[in-house]
Amino acid sequence: MEKKTIDVSDGAAIPRKKDAGLFSAWRISFAGALIILLCLVVFEPDPYLKILKFLPDGILITFEVTIFAIIFAVLLGLLTGLGRISKNPFINAVASTYVEVVRGIPLLVQLFYIYYALGRFVRLPDMVAAIIAMSLCYGAYMGEVFRAGIESIDKGQMEAARSLGFNRTQTMFYVILPQAWRTILPPVGNEFIALLKDTSLVSILAVADMLRRGREFASETFTYFETYTVIALVYLLITLLLSKMVSILEEKLNYYDQS
Amino acid sequence: MMKRCVWVVLAAILLATPAWARTLVVAQDATWPPMEFMNEQKEIIGFDTDYVRAVAKEAGFDVVFKNVAWDGIFAGLDAGQYDAVCSSVTITDERKKAMDFGIPYFKVRQALVVSKDSTVKTLEELKGKTVGGQIGTTGYFAIKKTEGITAKSYDEIGLAMEDLFSGRIDGVVCDDPTAAQYALQKADYAARLKIAAVLDTGDEYYGIAVKKGNKEVLDLINKGIEAVQAKGIDKELRAKWIGQ
Repeated sequence: MEKKTIDVSDGAAIPRKKDAGLFSAWRISFAGALIILLCLVVFEPDPYLKILKFLPDGILITFEVTIFAIIFAVLLGLLTGLGRISKNPFINAVASTYVEVVRGIPLLVQLFYIYYALGRFVRLPDMVAAIIAMSLCYGAYMGEVFRAGIESIDKGQMEAARSLGFNRTQTMFYVILPQAWRTILPPVGNEFIALLKDTSLVSILAVADMLRRGREFASETFTYFETYTVIALVYLLITLLLSKMVSILEEKLNYYDQS
Repeated sequence: MMKRCVWVVLAAILLATPAWARTLVVAQDATWPPMEFMNEQKEIIGFDTDYVRAVAKEAGFDVVFKNVAWDGIFAGLDAGQYDAVCSSVTITDERKKAMDFGIPYFKVRQALVVSKDSTVKTLEELKGKTVGGQIGTTGYFAIKKTEGITAKSYDEIGLAMEDLFSGRIDGVVCDDPTAAQYALQKADYAARLKIAAVLDTGDEYYGIAVKKGNKEVLDLINKGIEAVQAKGIDKELRAKWIGQ
């Protein structure tokens, strides 16, 4: 059966098999970014090398927030997705309301809210607040992806498994989810990439991520052009690497689809 | 009829402004009370705002204020988005390389604000603790220079004070007028915060910054500052905004 999907996302383009040519967009962007960055650092170490040396702890924080937020967002997304298709009206209402509320509030506002507004009542450390806000936000987005993925599996699968004696939970975890995962992965991969880029917003909580480190450097040395050029190139390289990883994973999972 | 009225009003406004008066756009980061901040009517007010108005009156130019985030305020000056920055800018050697300054107009020192129940008397005593300041300010540079302290940079000094207030950080360093505003004037903050020390980083002077090489605007501003200082207007403004 030919499956038609719309490959548009705000994450990043995940390279497909067919764009594997020498001049694919992924290769041009990656090689371009890498060459420009290397040239700048080698031919103009002052300030470019200084900037690059200023960033590593910030890059680490960016990764830390991204990885923890991805883990929690996937768990939360799975629960939400299951909750959204649940027959229990209470669970369904909770999951649906969560999605509606969180998707209706900008992430930047959520960050401010959790850190500064709730800060008067619960004193969360900045990293914890950042990870909670990112997970809550992306959990809601991923919940929708999971729901759509689960619903895309033919009803007959559920009926067959149930008539073989599986209960609903067993059917979900042994029959439906393993199949749905293949449909879910591309959009979830996009969410990962979008999440990584959105971690730049946590710099407003004074979390010393890559963007804040860059801003600190620029505001002290007035090298705005140079600093933000490096920041943009490093983000681009990381995002492109992540999208490549997602596409490799996707290919592995699609192994059985190839005929 | 309506249209005619509008034209008449417009013409009146145009005629009322002397054609030769030059308009300078001055950038301020209105998050630094009492020097420059927003009132409830969303207007920028403060010592610097009044000071620039006085300078403008003396030197004979019109002034329009623009609220710009501190983080990019010097980038905007360099890009020519406004003519000057008068926003509690301390004159430093690094900044002098990147822009030109008018005659120094205000003296400040760096103050350390801590929680009221803290016994800390110097910045050095906060070793191993976290101290916050506004990104790209001399206060933040002072924290960074002190060994063993985790420096945390905020977009606005108010956010750093809020974090100190809720106990997430152990101190905030900023210019003394602003420190006094938070630790003494604002009722809820004053109940929990105090000024622990004035740092021995020495006196700092505020200057009005213009784009490097913009002599025309710089001369105009300096002419105004000289007149303001000669007439003692700066002392009146100090009494109005700072007290003592």
